[in-house]
Amino acid sequence: MFDLFLQFLSNTGYYLADYRHYLMIVVGSTFLYLGTAKKYEPLLLIPIGFGILVGNIPFFKGFGIGIYEPNSVLHYLYFGVRTGVYPSIVFMGLGAMTDFSSLLAQPKLMLLGAAAQMGIYFTLLGALFFGFAPKEAASIAIIGGADGPTSIFLTAKLAPHLIGPIAIAAYSYMALIPVIQPPIMRLLTTKKERLIKMPPSRKVSKKELLIFPVAGVLLCCFLAPTALPLLGMLFLGNFLKECGVVNRLANTAQSAIVDTATIFLGFTVGCSTQADVFLTPKSLGIFFLGAVAFSIATASGVIFARIMNLFLKKKINPLLGAAGVSAVPGSAREVHLMGLKEDPTNFLLMHGMACNSSGVIGSAICAGILWSFFV
Amino acid sequence: MIGIENITNNNGWAMAAVGATIVFSGLVILSFVISQIHKILQLWEDRENLLNRFKKKAPAEDVEEFDTLIYEARHLPKLDDLIRDYRPLAEKLQEPFKLSELFEIANQADIPHPHLSIQRLQEAEVLVAEGDGTFTWNKLKGE
Repeated sequence: MFDLFLQFLSNTGYYLADYRHYLMIVVGSTFLYLGTAKKYEPLLLIPIGFGILVGNIPFFKGFGIGIYEPNSVLHYLYFGVRTGVYPSIVFMGLGAMTDFSSLLAQPKLMLLGAAAQMGIYFTLLGALFFGFAPKEAASIAIIGGADGPTSIFLTAKLAPHLIGPIAIAAYSYMALIPVIQPPIMRLLTTKKERLIKMPPSRKVSKKELLIFPVAGVLLCCFLAPTALPLLGMLFLGNFLKECGVVNRLANTAQSAIVDTATIFLGFTVGCSTQADVFLTPKSLGIFFLGAVAFSIATASGVIFARIMNLFLKKKINPLLGAAGVSAVPGSAREVHLMGLKEDPTNFLLMHGMACNSSGVIGSAICAGILWSFFV
Repeated sequence: MIGIENITNNNGWAMAAVGATIVFSGLVILSFVISQIHKILQLWEDRENLLNRFKKKAPAEDVEEFDTLIYEARHLPKLDDLIRDYRPLAEKLQEPFKLSELFEIANQADIPHPHLSIQRLQEAEVLVAEGDGTFTWNKLKGE
């Protein structure tokens, strides 16, 4: 009987755990704290944080429990991540939730979304410089797009063994927007520039909103067909919303479907951070390069806005450049808050959303381009 | 392998340059297209006004029809009849002649409404101004 008890004890997590598991449990708990108490991207951090806890409970391998063990429940749920199904579904929900009217009213702001993608290509060079293989470097670089689903999608295609660290890095930096972006914005702009007021946007007609997803999917996907799983779904979701005759589908896409995909995406990505797989020197490098990518993306958006101001009669507030990364709506909100801090009557939220939505399109195109380089 | 060598060996410079160029030009094109959508829609919605504008410009014939109606309302003979009546008078005068001379001999010949008739012949370019106050008979139109 005692032997049986000892055998049972030797199979418990308490016995099997080492310091790496505890470290990851601390990381998971931190995510839960940030999401719950600080409300930093709770929709993402809470499922991921809980997934980290679940994924780092040590178990006796061979029972079909862990996410990397064939035929386990978690393994089946992880299928949506490995194949890029969840990111595509999330993009459809995102499209069904996004109002592109601010972008249609001021198309020039789309250039800021393009400029902010430069962080991706600088980081590609950085990752190669530090010795990563090309496919790994491309997967790390996409963190600069600040778009979790896009990062997961591209990594699943190019470097599936890095999904865990890359997803965690991407979502962490998205959640840490209020910490990372403001110092960069302040550093690269003058007070006078931060006070620039943006004129109210013109009213956009229903027909424009309806034509945009069709024009968008044709133009973008003809340019980068590999972005089809993301952009096709994004514009499908948006068309469902704008056409006005399938409200049931649009409502389901922007609520039940996207919520389900978000739960499974976040949870399984969290579970994939098993200490023995996750805690490697490569992961540290990925976190470092991810921070660099995100910072360069923010900086290049702001700098490009300042360059645009050299040629524009009506100046744009360069803070908007920081919203060119595709962290929707976090970065637009941050730009808005900083604008309000400088001048309580300066409302930049809608303009920021224009840059944000173009950033989403831009980072998906970048993912498609990077993928096509290795096809 | 690390450093610049790794970038060069893996075609990193080209990938970064080409990738950045493609995404930038793609979004520039998309932004240009969406900046034109409302203009194209406006044109489409105003298409009837636009077509009408073109229709109004075209019709020299309409003017002629309109004039014809006025002249008919004043019981003026048709253009062909006027040409038939005035050609012998114009031939009597030495070209170039003054309209007052033509008016005078038309009055003498008891042709009705000489003033309106001469005006009609002018509008129909049967009587052509020389630019110095004199006129000639346009043989091409006045046969």
